Amino acid sequence: MNVTGAGAVFARGRGIGSLEDALREGWTAPSRKPVASSPGEMIPVYSVEEKTIIDKAVLKKMRRADRFSKMAVLAAWDAVKDGGIEIGEGGARLGIILATAFGPQVTAFRFLDEIIDHGDASVSPTLFSHSVHNAAASYVASALGNHGPTLTVTQFGLSFHQALILARAWIREGRCEHVLVGSVEECGTVMEHICSKKLEIAEDGKIRPFAFSPSPSAVPGEGSVFLLLSREDRGKKYCELRGVFLDDESAEADPDLRILDADGMSEDETRYQEIAGQDVLIGGYSPLFGSMLTGSAFHCAAAAVMLKNQTLYACPVRDNPHDARVCASTEQKNLERIQCVSYSCRDERAVIELSR
Amino acid sequence: MVNVVITGIGAISAAGADLSETLATFEKGRARAGALSLFETSLTYPVFEVKNLRRKARGDEMRSISLALCAVEEALTDAELSSGLSRFRVGVCLGTTVASQLNDMDFYRAYRSGKPMSMRSVDRYLKGNLAEAVGRAIGLRGPSLTVVNACSSGADAIGVALSWLRDGVCDIAIAGGADELNIVPLCGFGALGILSDSICAPFDRDRKGLNLGEGAGVLVLESEEIARKRGKPSLLQLSGYGSAADAFHLTAPIPDGSGLESALEKAMSEAGIHAGDVCFVNAHGTATPDNDKIEGSVFRRIFGSEIKFLSSKGFVGHTLGAAGGLEAAFTAAALREGWIPGSAGFAQQDEEILLSPVRETTPITGRFAVSTSLAFGGNNAAIVMSRGSVDASGAQNRGDA
Amino acid sequence: MQSQKSKSLEEIRSELKELLVVNLALEDITPEEIEDDGLLFGEGLGLDSLDAVEIVVLIQRNYGLEIIDEEQAREIFQSVNTLARWVHENLGD
Repeated sequence: MNVTGAGAVFARGRGIGSLEDALREGWTAPSRKPVASSPGEMIPVYSVEEKTIIDKAVLKKMRRADRFSKMAVLAAWDAVKDGGIEIGEGGARLGIILATAFGPQVTAFRFLDEIIDHGDASVSPTLFSHSVHNAAASYVASALGNHGPTLTVTQFGLSFHQALILARAWIREGRCEHVLVGSVEECGTVMEHICSKKLEIAEDGKIRPFAFSPSPSAVPGEGSVFLLLSREDRGKKYCELRGVFLDDESAEADPDLRILDADGMSEDETRYQEIAGQDVLIGGYSPLFGSMLTGSAFHCAAAAVMLKNQTLYACPVRDNPHDARVCASTEQKNLERIQCVSYSCRDERAVIELSR
Repeated sequence: MVNVVITGIGAISAAGADLSETLATFEKGRARAGALSLFETSLTYPVFEVKNLRRKARGDEMRSISLALCAVEEALTDAELSSGLSRFRVGVCLGTTVASQLNDMDFYRAYRSGKPMSMRSVDRYLKGNLAEAVGRAIGLRGPSLTVVNACSSGADAIGVALSWLRDGVCDIAIAGGADELNIVPLCGFGALGILSDSICAPFDRDRKGLNLGEGAGVLVLESEEIARKRGKPSLLQLSGYGSAADAFHLTAPIPDGSGLESALEKAMSEAGIHAGDVCFVNAHGTATPDNDKIEGSVFRRIFGSEIKFLSSKGFVGHTLGAAGGLEAAFTAAALREGWIPGSAGFAQQDEEILLSPVRETTPITGRFAVSTSLAFGGNNAAIVMSRGSVDASGAQNRGDA
Repeated sequence: MQSQKSKSLEEIRSELKELLVVNLALEDITPEEIEDDGLLFGEGLGLDSLDAVEIVVLIQRNYGLEIIDEEQAREIFQSVNTLARWVHENLGD
């Protein structure tokens, strides 16, 4: 299937153009937020600014929606517009698959506040309705006026990868001609607190993808990425998504670039060193958007941009203690194939392969 | 196209600890809703609580996972796959709502109080993705995915498994849903004003709302070829799945029922059948004024006023993420056994629906059945199942003769 | 804090408008711009079924009053005035 559109909402802005700009400009410092319940402690976070998710036109029926849903709708909307397909009545048959690890947990905790502060019988039905994982996808369908299958899926390991596998199955069985596949994660005070306790936080705000550390450092991030995937006969604005290979399955030939999902979210990143040891150029761009369990979606979008532009982008943080073959400069290059490699917390390996 | 057969069924709910207990409850027509005993609450709505969860939770295992494993183990035994799974790529796709959220009240109260707290609840949550946990517990090699599509999650999970099997992503799939009673949906549905303070009465003229329930319903699905090769041909087939979004409102279903109608048409088209071929429908039938009116109207429009249908929620409550899985299990069991139970709780026809569900145990004679699910957020799902006879060689006979 | 019972109808109207704008996240309208007799649902302010159940909770939380069922809600929720009058009458009990 082909990648025919892309949209993103993250700390550096909105639109696939913002991701492209970030790839070109390199690393910028995250914001710093106080850790609730740990007075004096600050945590670096790649947060989405409020102004990024203001859009009266696209979000006109979403006055009650939370940030989680707004990020999803804007990224999805932009991907569809980028892909130039017509939807709604008589339009293309479009399915929607939204992958998330933690769902709208900020709103879910606000709903717990309601129960604690006001009692079981006096809680906000609006907050409850937005605390369910599938609220965002519902808003995406409504904003687009799309009536195709709409699914929200969750996994802590490989949500986005499984969503891609399902999208391909839907297209191949003729259920849809296009599938909008995306990820959404949101930070918030509770999650930041949990991250400060469970993760090694990079105090200087720099994720180091090539440290291959047994206890790697993270900088929590939030945002949403959507890719518009289309049947092969629909042309390809960005690239072809050739496959998702799990565990021991392997892709065919060596790619031009292997992007590593090393961002500090898994406990042990020494496994990536084995990948780096092969004679293939490697990249890692999570210092641009932050650490997220569904961060592979951002890397997939970055790979799509590179293939479309036929450009390699310098890795934003190039600390390289193991002397790996890291992509250190931005240059036009003949690029045929890029792989995005992830190891989940449970040692499962997944490779997304994209080609020109 | 790969033909997908149903080789195993598992179910646990307030109606029974396993499928055979459940069918006995259905036959007797006895519905057991009562006061909640699992946790403290000031709310007094009746619920359908599982009283006989025989499986002891291992370690910190969440209740939804225990419920799921009960149903999964029963389904695997039914499919004669309690051992030997390592030969196959086995996918797990399960729907849930409660198990996907970090909603541990003790954890959150401790967080709010600013006291030092253990991360035990967080660790439990991180190990508790429903499909991942089930796959790990059984030692499966294959894809796993948890569907969180609110009330249609279980049905949608079965739809995912169908797509997986057709695309060769796995050889066998375990699919359905599981959910536990929990303070969050209890308070939330109460605030939405759709819980009934008496036992629910789906499609009844005087229905006042739903009762929450808990449980797990699971099917073992595989390609017909694999089932036959391993000596377990099946009479039951998963013939079609349709899904359509209302794209209307976050909590209210689209009044004209067009989303459900679209899902039904897609599922039946995929199964290669017409509405007249359907011998019964297991409805979503939550007993809310809106759902039953819309769903009933769609049934009358599509299937005509003679269609046999029921809601099993009068026996098990609304089990949220488990509902689609339980209802698929009940639909498959009904096709296998040749009867459907009376729709518990129903007494009087609603003149705005002009349809009545079956009131007593009813034999079924046709080949095709449908199960429908309508979810918060406007998802609609329809599943078509069929049964055929098996000839002497074990080959599937479509019953076309 | 002022006793609920001694609140005037005008005060209640004003409070309700504030509650609606803040809790229903109404955009592009201030409390002062909401008309006393303007329809709250449908063509007027454009509130929907989710707003209706939210208002039920707001009334319960802010005034301690229970709205019993949908039919009662439909009568009371026509406008800020009908809602304010009902609150004012029942606070006096």
